[in-house]
Amino acid sequence: MRALAARLLENRLAAGGLAVMAVVGAVALAAPLLPLADPNATAPAARLLPPFTPGAWLGTDALGRDLLARLVWGTRVSLAVGLAAALLAALVGSAIGLAAGFLGGRTETILMRVIDVLMAFPYLLLALAVVAALGPGLLNALYAVVVANIPFFARTVRGAAAALRGRDFVEAARLSGMGETRILLTEVLPNVMPVIVITASTTVGWMILETAGLSFLGLGSQPPQADLGAMLGEGRKVLITAPAVAAVPGLVVFLIVMSLNLIGDGLRDALDPRLRGGTPGRPGAATRVAPGLAPAAPAEGLAVRDLTVAFARPEGAADAVRGVSLAVAPGECLGLVGESGSGKSVTAHAVTRLVASPPGLIRGGTIAFRDDDLLALPPEGLRRLRGRRIAYVFQDPLTTLHPLMRVGDQVAEAIRVHRVLPARAARTRTRDLFAAVMLPEPETIGLAYPHELSGGQRQRVAIAMALANDPDLIVADEPTTALDVTVQAEILDLLDRLRRERHLAILFISHDVGVVRRICDRVAVMQGGRIVEEGETRALLAAPRHPVTRGLIAAMPVLGRRRSAEPRPVPEARP
Amino acid sequence: MIPLRSAFAGLLTAAWLTGAAAAPVPDDVLVVGQTAEPASLDPAVSTATNDARILVNLYEGLVRYRSGTLEVEPALAESWTVSEDGRRYTFRLREGVRFHDGTPFDAEAVRFHFGRLLDRDHPAARTGPFPLAFLFRVVERVEAPDPRTVRFVLREPHAPFLANLAYPTGLIVSPRAVMERGGAFARAPVGTGPFRFAGWQSSRKVTLERNPDYWGEAAKPRLVIFRPLTDPNTRATEMLAGGVDVMAEMPPDALALFRDRPDFAVREQVGPHLWFLILNTQAGPLRDPRVRQAVNYAIDRQALAAHVLQGTAVPAHGLIAPAFAWAYDPSQRGYPHDPQRARRLLREAGAEGATLRFLVAEGGSGMLDPVAMGTAIQADLAAVGLTARIATYEWNAYLARVNRGLGEDADMAEMAWMTNDPDMLPSLALRSDARPGQGGFNAGGYANPDLDRLLAEARRTADQARRADLYRQAEAIVVADAPIAFVAHWKQSAVTTAAVQGLTLEPSFFLRLSGVTKR
Amino acid sequence: MGAYLLGRLAGLVPVLIGLSLIVFLIMALIPGDPALAILGPYATPDSLARVRAELGLDRSLPVQYAAWLGHVLAGDLGRSHSLNRPVLDEVGERFAATLVLAGAALVLAALIGLLVGIVAAVRQGGTADRLATLAVLVGISMPSFWLGLLLILLVSVRWRLLPVSGMYAITGGEDLSDLLAHLVLPAVTLAVVAAGVIARLTRSAMLEVLRQDFVRTARAKGVPERRIIVAHALKAALVTVIPVIGIQAGFVLGGAVYVETVFQWPGIGRMLVNAIATRDVLLVQGGVLVVATAYVLFNLAADLLQRLLDPRIGA
Repeated sequence: MRALAARLLENRLAAGGLAVMAVVGAVALAAPLLPLADPNATAPAARLLPPFTPGAWLGTDALGRDLLARLVWGTRVSLAVGLAAALLAALVGSAIGLAAGFLGGRTETILMRVIDVLMAFPYLLLALAVVAALGPGLLNALYAVVVANIPFFARTVRGAAAALRGRDFVEAARLSGMGETRILLTEVLPNVMPVIVITASTTVGWMILETAGLSFLGLGSQPPQADLGAMLGEGRKVLITAPAVAAVPGLVVFLIVMSLNLIGDGLRDALDPRLRGGTPGRPGAATRVAPGLAPAAPAEGLAVRDLTVAFARPEGAADAVRGVSLAVAPGECLGLVGESGSGKSVTAHAVTRLVASPPGLIRGGTIAFRDDDLLALPPEGLRRLRGRRIAYVFQDPLTTLHPLMRVGDQVAEAIRVHRVLPARAARTRTRDLFAAVMLPEPETIGLAYPHELSGGQRQRVAIAMALANDPDLIVADEPTTALDVTVQAEILDLLDRLRRERHLAILFISHDVGVVRRICDRVAVMQGGRIVEEGETRALLAAPRHPVTRGLIAAMPVLGRRRSAEPRPVPEARP
Repeated sequence: MIPLRSAFAGLLTAAWLTGAAAAPVPDDVLVVGQTAEPASLDPAVSTATNDARILVNLYEGLVRYRSGTLEVEPALAESWTVSEDGRRYTFRLREGVRFHDGTPFDAEAVRFHFGRLLDRDHPAARTGPFPLAFLFRVVERVEAPDPRTVRFVLREPHAPFLANLAYPTGLIVSPRAVMERGGAFARAPVGTGPFRFAGWQSSRKVTLERNPDYWGEAAKPRLVIFRPLTDPNTRATEMLAGGVDVMAEMPPDALALFRDRPDFAVREQVGPHLWFLILNTQAGPLRDPRVRQAVNYAIDRQALAAHVLQGTAVPAHGLIAPAFAWAYDPSQRGYPHDPQRARRLLREAGAEGATLRFLVAEGGSGMLDPVAMGTAIQADLAAVGLTARIATYEWNAYLARVNRGLGEDADMAEMAWMTNDPDMLPSLALRSDARPGQGGFNAGGYANPDLDRLLAEARRTADQARRADLYRQAEAIVVADAPIAFVAHWKQSAVTTAAVQGLTLEPSFFLRLSGVTKR
Repeated sequence: MGAYLLGRLAGLVPVLIGLSLIVFLIMALIPGDPALAILGPYATPDSLARVRAELGLDRSLPVQYAAWLGHVLAGDLGRSHSLNRPVLDEVGERFAATLVLAGAALVLAALIGLLVGIVAAVRQGGTADRLATLAVLVGISMPSFWLGLLLILLVSVRWRLLPVSGMYAITGGEDLSDLLAHLVLPAVTLAVVAAGVIARLTRSAMLEVLRQDFVRTARAKGVPERRIIVAHALKAALVTVIPVIGIQAGFVLGGAVYVETVFQWPGIGRMLVNAIATRDVLLVQGGVLVVATAYVLFNLAADLLQRLLDPRIGA
């Protein structure tokens, strides 16, 4: 709870909202104690006094009542009603949503049908009808707003509760003989609570706005009682002659709703586990490079020297890669192995500055690719290089391919962003690439979406995409890790064959020494952001010196070794 | 993103280009702001003053109110005679008058109109309902001895009869159009007036055009457009922005604004209107006349009229509005604002600190600013130690609540009447047998046999001076018994642009537009 | 897709029947009486009874409802007693006006919301993002009835740039430019809240998407940044944004009542408020039926669009 409050206060906007609401709430609570005029005492002769009149600092309304007093008392009423409405709607809506979501089956169908009907009812009309049926009055307006908002809560909570229905801890509770009601209250409710709190907190402002709206239409508070909506409605009648009478309560409604929205947002950010620990900024197009780094000397292939990459963390910057140097000659395959977190992927991504930034920052070192200093390239130069001369194959093609684009289009795009080519020609080229990576039915498979392909097929698409512009270097970041062992072998064979045919250089990142042994000429072993050992593959693996290397070898899956010794070049069929 | 941006810019540019805002209205077109969409343009069906402003330009009756008064003068009837016993009215009809659909106006048309109103078996009886038919319930039969003569035979002498004929319910409709169109006649009206109907677009406008075949002097405007502007604030802003030429019911505060501006003119006219509180004489603290008198003394009607209503009303001292010049009693001083006296009366009655349940309307025909007035009265009552608990109702719900009688659970209620004869309000709302449920509106349950007797006698009296005397006596009784709290008579007002000439506001609340021009 | 559509449309029927039943019950429960609303202050018990019989109000509630339903199925929404015209005519006219207003507001809200959301996401943390966040906050906290009043006061009354109220100039030829001039303020007023909601969601959806692996893939391919944002990220973000636009359509339809009142727009929201006031049951029924159908169809359209965008759904 304290952590929650701390997180909330860290958010400057939410803290601001909280401050405003604290002031507004304190004034509203203290209304009976404040030296205010009687909010209901009329003085028709002193009507519509302008603001800053001594004795009536906000002026008076059309009946000569003190606006400041009415504003304070009106705020008190509006706040109370808004909070009560949010609580009631949350209570009833959540109960319905919980019952529907947790019980499922027929109960859910019936309840949700009713909710659907209510949802289809234009919201304000529902409120109008409720008020018409019950008669005007603040309490009835409150009920109307509650009724109109129940569906919203019911839907949200139902979703959250339904997700818990089949979870282990619920099943466990059931097996231990707990009754359904008890499970609902002791197991499900606490888990759904954050959702309810977030929903309620984000809707309080909305509720205040809605009750104000009903009062504005004359259906809410009854004279002489002031609430902010009724004050706005009264002020509207004299809008032209005395704009302040409507402007001031309008402004207060606006301020309160805005503050509540800020607090609601803050609360949501603080409670939502996905956003915990602060929202990282949007990654830019290229990893930032610390200023003042030395220029890189031209190299034969890829040359990385003393590369240091840091990540900004809330607790301070931490280096993920510390002074790594490596080189990949044309046509050579370098394996970069290490346990997860050793910095190998960061190193690989840093080559064309694909490390997300923020939080990533290249703090030191040089990266040269032939004549280009990759850390000094302007964004457009870097873009031209990516995918054309240095291409990537990533780990999990289900998430690294665009889920909503046809795979053929994705490959064609890779071609067309680098050269002017008619769509037709790009299609032909794509088809050839698909044939080259041995995808079945290369003519038509381009029309498929990623989710319609098998894992192996997706990775073949990714490789085709990497090959699209005949690059000099392919950086393959755990390209086979997400695949099952059989397919792994096929993909490795494919890469190996393509490398030899096309004289490609490959920087191959893996935690699997067996895989690296199959394909790489040299191996570098990483630990803690440093290269701890490097050498010709066979020699190094035969006589590992560093304990990390030995550990990696020991962890090598036996199955993988056997399978990789028996390549099966038959392409799998489409599902 | 470029297309999005330019699309938005295009929209704004379009708005800017067409932003000649309110295009100026041509000089021969008159735009009149209305408080609401008309309910019906069938005079037999309509009850609203708002509709009447349109109706009197489309239709004519046998007689009409002489401009600036509530006294009748010939219209479709050239002349008339009344029999000695006061039961026969014979009208000589104007010759050569035709309805807008080309059918002639004659005695049969008059007979048709009243048959439709009064005879349940009339072929057009189902085109109703006709809520105001009771105005003519005294008519026994209508005779048409020849095309230019029509004779009404009454069951008993009925002095308000001629005034009732001048009321919108007495406006004559084209029989053929009613028979052809049935219920749809209300949206496609045909009369004999200086304007004829040209179109009605829901909640946008009703258009009338000059009737080229009018029997009298041709109307000056070529077109009159009535715009429903239900929101008082919009009425003011539209007027300021030049979207209307004439606006009949301007909110009081806005009126003050237009008074100060040279490009607008404000016209005012006191009408036969009374804004009052129905007091429950049957139950609760107000059963005691002293408490009712105390309520009357407590109300600061001067402040209400001058401040809350911004001078758009005058304080009411009695039952009869000053607009009924012949019956009005200027010596009737009613109840001055006297909180001390109110407190004393309450003390005598032992009703100090009583709580009164107060029904307040949110709006409604002639109700002026009912919530603000109710709130101000609530504060006045608080000043003499009475607690008024307000409940507001939307107008229709309000009527439903009040018209069934105040009963056991309400002590007072706001009400306003606009009438065409001093007989109407006391006869329908204060007579002892005008109880709710028996066709009356005596929601406070007041009963005084002396008043009943005076009203009956006045109805039978043809002589106006004698009638006036009887109404003054009746008024004195009502003031003394205080079954209602007298509050205000509305001064109707209209704002026009300075260019509008020749517009007179009538005490009847009608708006005759055929002589209006724009400079 | 076709079967799905049919299924969804069939699912609409029970919703609408349930809805009409609720409306009918509410109207029956509301104190006040249509006959009295017609006859006004001069109603007598006798004339009330006659009018009630004419309106069929003397029959039992189930009979009244069944009669109404029968007529609706035959395409007849009945006749409005307060307006003396067929409900279908009135509802058609008024709904068209609301559709113009709500449609314009929704398009405006979607355009502005998407634009602001995208810019804010792309410039996250920058000045543009701060401004956008502020604008969104102002937008979603703004009481629309208040904003409308302020706009009228400023733009129409003080500056005389745009008409105060109505849908067409009262003496104009009802052409498009006239309509646009009248449409700007109400559409903007109505769009503000929805635009805020859409912008905020677009921003977070874009940020979410821009952190995903396939965006890194696009960068690794050398796709220009602008194209990444529009063709890759926005496309994926729309999948989350579109259903919300559908929901906003409902709020815009509902919120239209305030805007129609403030700007005297001849829309169906105001018609319904009046119809409730005059206890015009048939008009209320017809209006609610049409609005609710429109609302459901809006959501259906959003669903279909989402399906069109995202081949993974319902595959």
